Amino acid sequence: MENGRVTAKRGLEALLRLGADKAQSVVSLVEKHEMNVDAGEFSLLRTTFDTQVRLTAIKGGKRGQTAANQSDPESIERAAADALNIAEASQPDDAYDIAERQPAEVFKAGSDSPDLDKMHMRVAELLKEVKVRHPKTVIRQAFLDFTKTRSFILNSNGVDFETTAGVYRFFTMFSSQEGDNVSSFNYTAFSMRELDKPLLECAGLDRLLRESGEQVKTYPIKGKFVGHVIVTPECLEDILGFLAYSVSDGPMIAGTSIYKDSLNKEVTSPSLTIHCRPVSDEIADGYFVTADGYKAENMTLVDKGVLKGYMLSLYGAKKTGKERAVNQGGAWVIEPGDTSFEDMVKGVDRGIILARFSGGNPSANGDFSGIAKNSYLIENGKIQYPISESMISGNFAEMLMNITAISKERVSSGFSVMPWIAMYGATISGK
Amino acid sequence: MRNVDLREFSGLFKAYTELRAQENRTVSILAVKGSIASNSRTDIGGISARVYKDGSWGFASSPDLSREAITSVIKAASENAAFLDSREKKGKGALPSTPVTSENLLKTTKPRLSQKELVEFVREIDNHILKAYPNLSSRTISLNCLDMEKILLTSDGSYSHSLIPRSTIRVTMTVEKDGKPVDLSSVYGGLGQFEDAFESPGDIYGGLQTHFEHLMKKSEGVFADAGVKTCVLDAELAGILAHEAIGHTTEADLVLGGSVAGPLLNKEAASPLVTLVDFANTALGVTCPVPVYVDDEGTRAEDAVLIEKGILKGYMHSKESAAHFGVAPTGNARAFQFSDEPLIRMRNTAILPGTSKLADMIASVDDGYYLIRPSNGQADSTSEFMFGVTLGYEIKNGKLGRAIRDTTISGVAFELLKSVTMVSDDMKWTCAGMCGKKQAIPVGMGGPAIKCVVSIGGR
Repeated sequence: MENGRVTAKRGLEALLRLGADKAQSVVSLVEKHEMNVDAGEFSLLRTTFDTQVRLTAIKGGKRGQTAANQSDPESIERAAADALNIAEASQPDDAYDIAERQPAEVFKAGSDSPDLDKMHMRVAELLKEVKVRHPKTVIRQAFLDFTKTRSFILNSNGVDFETTAGVYRFFTMFSSQEGDNVSSFNYTAFSMRELDKPLLECAGLDRLLRESGEQVKTYPIKGKFVGHVIVTPECLEDILGFLAYSVSDGPMIAGTSIYKDSLNKEVTSPSLTIHCRPVSDEIADGYFVTADGYKAENMTLVDKGVLKGYMLSLYGAKKTGKERAVNQGGAWVIEPGDTSFEDMVKGVDRGIILARFSGGNPSANGDFSGIAKNSYLIENGKIQYPISESMISGNFAEMLMNITAISKERVSSGFSVMPWIAMYGATISGK
Repeated sequence: MRNVDLREFSGLFKAYTELRAQENRTVSILAVKGSIASNSRTDIGGISARVYKDGSWGFASSPDLSREAITSVIKAASENAAFLDSREKKGKGALPSTPVTSENLLKTTKPRLSQKELVEFVREIDNHILKAYPNLSSRTISLNCLDMEKILLTSDGSYSHSLIPRSTIRVTMTVEKDGKPVDLSSVYGGLGQFEDAFESPGDIYGGLQTHFEHLMKKSEGVFADAGVKTCVLDAELAGILAHEAIGHTTEADLVLGGSVAGPLLNKEAASPLVTLVDFANTALGVTCPVPVYVDDEGTRAEDAVLIEKGILKGYMHSKESAAHFGVAPTGNARAFQFSDEPLIRMRNTAILPGTSKLADMIASVDDGYYLIRPSNGQADSTSEFMFGVTLGYEIKNGKLGRAIRDTTISGVAFELLKSVTMVSDDMKWTCAGMCGKKQAIPVGMGGPAIKCVVSIGGR
């Protein structure tokens, strides 16, 4: 593999030589081996090598950025010149900056190379097991990849980080069929450092495949009611995504975030604590360094319902006058509650288990509506049947304030650790 | 694009092989409330090879276009195909072969604007919005250009060189209403390099005025009344319906995976008023937003007629799926980046115009909605779909009423298409769509307005 450090250094030197006041050079060498399944059969083995070069120049308060994937000296020189030209073309902004000097550090996680035979064995084992355990279900698409990324992050303040991460990632989409009845598709993804157990035992895959088989026969909900929603771990990121996005650069800089003045104020029910832990043993697929060139640290976004920070980049922080986040989001870890999933269901008079939300982007104020996919009706504390053609609408911000229970059980996907969360206040409507 | 002659590598092909050199060049400029929040260019390219061995595929790619790298990529792809074949032993036969030679470089002949001039273009639009609409609480302008250039050589003799550009400007305006933000976005531009897509900032001022007027009405808008309603879906929604809800179910790989369209072939799938086509490059005599002349397997792209007068007539195919179904490939195999393998993807999917007038369609609805602009959309193997709606109006007694807040519509697409009773006589294309199916890829969506029955979310 080529010497990424030399390339990164060459990029930084070129930026400074061409007149940048401040500069950042990031070079990533990415190697991916991916085994693909289509319609239940192995279809493709894919190997890709790439070099990602990202150069940032700040000159006279103006910023320019380029990304390319050629690492020869001429290409690096050209990309650096482009970055300076783009900076010249830009407008000055005091908020443009690069990370300050931090101690140089080398980070490493995961394997160096893939075990292709084991990858094939694990996928073949899954296909075989699905036929036995979930005979109605077809793996429509799946891929298991091993991706190794080696990055060099240098800047003109003296930042010098090297990170290497090798991770296996699995994604699958599936549906079930019985006679003429076809279920909705569902999908899931998870990441792991090693292939040390069958894929079917990872994250919530086995449960989701079983539920898919149940969903060949569904029923629409009758009428319209306001009720409880138990959000599954797989669906939770969609709901929390609204909160995470609302406290990030875009809405915060535009001033459209409903949480723009909510620091240290209650934004959810007190039972909810949300961590963001990119450098934690709980997270197989995290990151060590932010795009801004800061060593990533774990943080708590919401502590017992209170907003403890904003997910702002260096630019976003300077632009809004608020504190920069110590990481760049994702890697969500939600504290478990004290109720079992079974008891959560028993506590619901009327509502649904929301397993997949197929909805429009929520409004800036949190209003949302969409379809409850792969979901179940709950009545009188019991799961009744899988539903179809059922819509759910409400306001995410209000629902986060109306959490009634959080499960003891959690699902670890390698990039998040999520429980089931019950909230009240959604409008659920069927035919 | 870097100069590379792929033909000199044809001697290395030992099995069916596609060799593709590709560059995707982008420009992105983002202005938020007058500040240039992002200003960047990317230039991502390289070489890929895909090799077929008795039903198993091997793929490899590298950013390096040197002779050694290209040789290594062909070798690695061949080894990957052999690895899978040695374990799977599918024993499938040869792929259909339809060699074609083609060159389609849709470059502008006008002088190119510099990055500085593009930033000025954005700033001029921003200044215009600031002056013309001072009561906005926020405004965002996003300029995006993508040039996708590909050179393809296949072992069965196809050679193609294409440059397909797209340039768009997306504007989002926000107002505060009772302390809460209400926003609306609109998109301009489409096929062509920037200089061909836009003459001057003033090109879009008319559209921005309409956009602002809709936003003001939306800020006073009401929640839709949740339930099943008769609605007129304007062209943008009809287009996303054609793409998401019907189109995906008729991609042959999804049919093989069990989509609901499988048993519907040659059966009634829609109202006889509905004809739905995935156009390759030209529709009704006009070049489509994402013209595809030769796909990434070297097949000449043909229009795929999916529904004709209500009857499901066919699917979209790659070479492999066409062989499976015993039909001709349609040229739908497309890859986004140099490092992506071709997948069956839509190109320009549209319902064809009918004979009704939009005004008559609205006048014919007693109690329903006129829905104009979608945000995102998803659909299922069952053809159950969901689209976000960011702009729409009530229809009461045949007349447009109050605007509605953001909502969602849903239904089962094949049932919805059976409920179509009127189709307008005009046609509009949406030119900024990106479709996600493992890889993102630009697509065109279009259509007339349709009157149908659909579930709408609300309160």
